[in-house]
Amino acid sequence: MLSLKVGRFLYLAVNWAVLAFLLLPILIIFVFALNPTPYIEFPPVGVTLKWFDKFFASPQFMSALLLSLEVAALTTIAATVLGASAALGIARGNVPGSRLITAIMLSPLMLPAILTGLALFQTYVLMDVGRPLWGLVVGHCLVTVPYVVRTTLAVLHNFDLRLEEAARNLGASPQRTFFEVTLPLIKPGVIAGGIFAFIVSFDQFPVSLFLVSPGQETLPITLFNYLKYDLDGTIGAASVVSILLAALVVIGLDRTVGLRSYVKL
Amino acid sequence: MSARIEIVGVSKSYDGAARAVDDIHMTIEPGEFFSLLGPSGCGKTTTLRMIAGFEMPSEGIIRVGGQDITRVPAHKRDMGMVFQNYALFPHRTVRENVAFGLRMRKMPRAAIAKKVDEALAMVALTGFEDRMPGQLSGGQQQRVALARAIVIEPRVLLCDEPLGALDKKLRQSMQFELKQLQKTLGVTLVFVTHDQEEALAMSDRIAVLSRGKVEQVGTPTEIYDRPATRFVADFIGETNLFRGELVGTDGAPALRVDGHLTLALPAADGLSGAISVGLRPEKVRLTPGGAGAQAQGTVESANFQGGHVLYRIALAGNRHVLAQSPNDGSGAPLAAGTPVSLGWTPADLVILKD
Ligand SMILES: Nc1ncnc2c1ncn2[C@@H]1O[C@H](COP(=O)(O)OP(=O)(O)O)[C@@H](O)[C@H]1O
Ligand SMILES: [Mg+2]
Repeated sequence: MLSLKVGRFLYLAVNWAVLAFLLLPILIIFVFALNPTPYIEFPPVGVTLKWFDKFFASPQFMSALLLSLEVAALTTIAATVLGASAALGIARGNVPGSRLITAIMLSPLMLPAILTGLALFQTYVLMDVGRPLWGLVVGHCLVTVPYVVRTTLAVLHNFDLRLEEAARNLGASPQRTFFEVTLPLIKPGVIAGGIFAFIVSFDQFPVSLFLVSPGQETLPITLFNYLKYDLDGTIGAASVVSILLAALVVIGLDRTVGLRSYVKL
Repeated sequence: MSARIEIVGVSKSYDGAARAVDDIHMTIEPGEFFSLLGPSGCGKTTTLRMIAGFEMPSEGIIRVGGQDITRVPAHKRDMGMVFQNYALFPHRTVRENVAFGLRMRKMPRAAIAKKVDEALAMVALTGFEDRMPGQLSGGQQQRVALARAIVIEPRVLLCDEPLGALDKKLRQSMQFELKQLQKTLGVTLVFVTHDQEEALAMSDRIAVLSRGKVEQVGTPTEIYDRPATRFVADFIGETNLFRGELVGTDGAPALRVDGHLTLALPAADGLSGAISVGLRPEKVRLTPGGAGAQAQGTVESANFQGGHVLYRIALAGNRHVLAQSPNDGSGAPLAAGTPVSLGWTPADLVILKD
């Protein structure tokens, strides 16, 4: 009885410790953003919003934030469509070597992103295309499509093909079957992948590093450049804004298109 | 509304493997309750899926209502289907599930609502319209699947072991209801089952399949009383199988099973060589003691089953025969070791093809 209680206590303690370990950096960011002194100080000496003012008043940060949002939005759309299509092709297409194709599709997850960025940078130089916005989006897609492929393949793996046959039997054409049955049922996986894509793109540093054009940088790059010369609460404020924006997108997607699944995954 | 189905020389092999269905011929009449019966893996589902259009025959033609539909895609075949595990759309309510086929047929909303209500009433599920399939019991899901299939008023209704997942009690009442519904609608129904009792109880006609081939097509009584092959005799109910050499004359043929047992056969043409015959246990009359009759033996065991007793009788030459006697209320079954004589008439013996 006693050992049971001790066991349960230990179990909870470990869980809380892991949670604290994960959340502590975020907490420190918040403290940093709200503390009046321009360096990390503990315990905090007061509360101020001046770093937020500075962040929002900076045209440099604002254009970076907008660019990041734009790139993340484009990336999310493109990666979701591409990744879900690829997963459907792999799972349903009856293509020879689908395991190899899956491995190739997922390989950017295993490659250091900085190599992906460098390789793409060299490709663009060879192609002599300069540093267009689409180039950046393509780079982000490379590292985000695997997430969508992964999560979509996971739902497709458990998909009961007889549901599609039932729809066909009831008179639905293959296209109609896809939109009436297949898509709604794989949606949770696709959306989950899309959320990953958004966050990975919005947060992206190594790939962007090579692909942004000077003077038109994404938020993580701008923050990094800022850090090289200044260290003050603006960094914290920018991070807090990033975190809240990402959370907002996740909650928004969940509320509108729904993450929860009807089928047990 | 209901249609004739003609299956002409249909074969199917998956990816060049052995034939799952092998040169099947059958004609299913309009409004008929037709069962495909056979052990697991004999090709029942494959046959049904070819009728539904989910598999393409490797050879042969399928006609429905006189029209060749072999290459018609599944969604243009106008058939209802009840899947083995129901295949209800988990993301749609009961109402939406049942309405699906009507929606695909571009029926006006008001008409759809009316038809859905009627179909749900027919399967006694009024009041469950807004439930999700996950909130229903197995039997209820089964009814939704049925309502979804019949609401489109299909020419043909296909059912793949629709009652297989239900418990025995529910299963029996659903058998009855399904049969009633089929008669009311007058729809041609192709029913797949591996359960011979179910097939015998429900069908107008049965096709018995084995290893992708049709062994016999007939009414339940034909299948039971006059099985065509050893396989059918063995698969449907209990049967005593004998194999031996033809002896005797044309007018009075007999089968020499072994040195101890020779059976008088019904007169028949074209018999020769090695022959198999079947004898149903309930055709064997037991008389305690005695000589005469067709054979003598001793009771080895008696299995009391309420309405009747199933005896295992040892014959000379290390051979056994099953005999079933009605329980006439005259007391305890014959004890083991009792000498008995066994009687039947030659007409009770059914000559079987291999
Ligand atoms: N999709 C398939 N691919 C390959 N072989 C199959 C497939 N479906 C069925 N088979 C094979 O075909 C044979 C008949 O199967 P099936 O029609 O499902 O039998 P039943 O429904 O009578 O149990 C079996 O040997 C089975 O293994
Ligand atoms: Mg089957």
